Amino acid sequence: MDWIRQIGRYIVVMLLQVLFFDQLHLLGVCHPYIYILCLLMMPITLPHSIDLLIGAALGLVMDVFCNSLGVHMCACVLIMLIRPYLLGTIVNDKDRLNEQISLRVLGWEALIKYVIVLVLIHHFCVFMLSAWHWHHLVFVLLSTVVSSIVTISVIFGYNALKYK
Amino acid sequence: MQTLLKILQRYSNFLVFIILEVAAVLLMYYNDAYPRSSFLSTANRLIAWQYDQVESVCSYFALKGINEELVAENAKLRNELVRYESLTEDSILSREVIYPENEVVYLPAKVVQMTTNEVHNYLTINRGLADDIRKGQGVRNEDGVVGIVRTVGQNYSVVLPIINTHTNLSCRFLKNDYIATLQWDGKDNRFAQLADVASHMVVNIGDTIITSGLSPVFPEGIPVGIVENCTLGTGDSYYTIRVRLYTNFKRLKYVEVIQNAHQTELDELENGLD
Repeated sequence: MDWIRQIGRYIVVMLLQVLFFDQLHLLGVCHPYIYILCLLMMPITLPHSIDLLIGAALGLVMDVFCNSLGVHMCACVLIMLIRPYLLGTIVNDKDRLNEQISLRVLGWEALIKYVIVLVLIHHFCVFMLSAWHWHHLVFVLLSTVVSSIVTISVIFGYNALKYK
Repeated sequence: MQTLLKILQRYSNFLVFIILEVAAVLLMYYNDAYPRSSFLSTANRLIAWQYDQVESVCSYFALKGINEELVAENAKLRNELVRYESLTEDSILSREVIYPENEVVYLPAKVVQMTTNEVHNYLTINRGLADDIRKGQGVRNEDGVVGIVRTVGQNYSVVLPIINTHTNLSCRFLKNDYIATLQWDGKDNRFAQLADVASHMVVNIGDTIITSGLSPVFPEGIPVGIVENCTLGTGDSYYTIRVRLYTNFKRLKYVEVIQNAHQTELDELENGLD
């Protein structure tokens, strides 16, 4: 039942991503990838390797929409690898991690650390791989910061609304 | 053997990670070098159809501007037609000389999706194999060059615009036929850079750049842009030239695909060679 809800949320988030956030183009550097909300909020009950495969699949779907085969896949697999270790260092009470990752489980402080670190890694990875040259480093860093701010606010907003 | 299996089991997650990342990097590499699959791109029927629906709603907001452009274009074409017709009236040349059989055919297409702010920009158009679109055909609009067809699906295709760092376009100066290569540095979608212009050339701001016709992709003389500024450092043997593009990619809604009038014949010839 829980997984049907996860898939439903993924479809809604993906529609928002493609229909709204991909069309945003604010200032030329704002391209938030809010679809990683689904990856970040996924429970970590599954085996780690399955998590990695889910990350790869979701990344590949986004790649097809962006004509950038491999870029999002690479970034998503990377954050899915880091995720359990990061949660392990942030959260002291390991028993709480058996349910959906959320504000209720983590609390604001841990959630802020967790989301900011992973979103920054993902966005930097995506922008760097699609630019593919140090020549564009300023553009990449600027895009990463601006887009991450939007993505992070969306994820915080989602949590704040759902678990207030 | 046992220890090996144990090690494998212990690091299985990491192994999966490595395999997936290697797969991603290979995909990145092969997609840049040899884009094959139209299924894994926005030429995918379902994805392009969805963009098409969104675009058909959004396009209402741009109708006024597009109408004005169409009126201006119509007037220009009509004036040109008058000139040609006056040629046929008092001329010893036969109609066939003045109206030769067209070598190229322009096929209108609608842009259903486009990115302009990335380093590798792409656009998707609503024409595909069903309309005789082939990989490598040129795309233009009424202002100038747009790009080259890259991946072809059944009903939609992906176009590599000149504002993509992978694109190279052979151009020449209108004033003296000097050949140069147009490239894009990935920064501003209004400007591109002109390479291979040696220092002995006299380059003025405002010089017009057109396609050279050296490659079969674009016929000769399609407008590209004008020189915005050019610099020559001491000791440099080549200019650094910035070209203001005629095509406004931000507002691109309709384009024309340049097709060869004898496409089927060419296809048959190429198939015969294999």
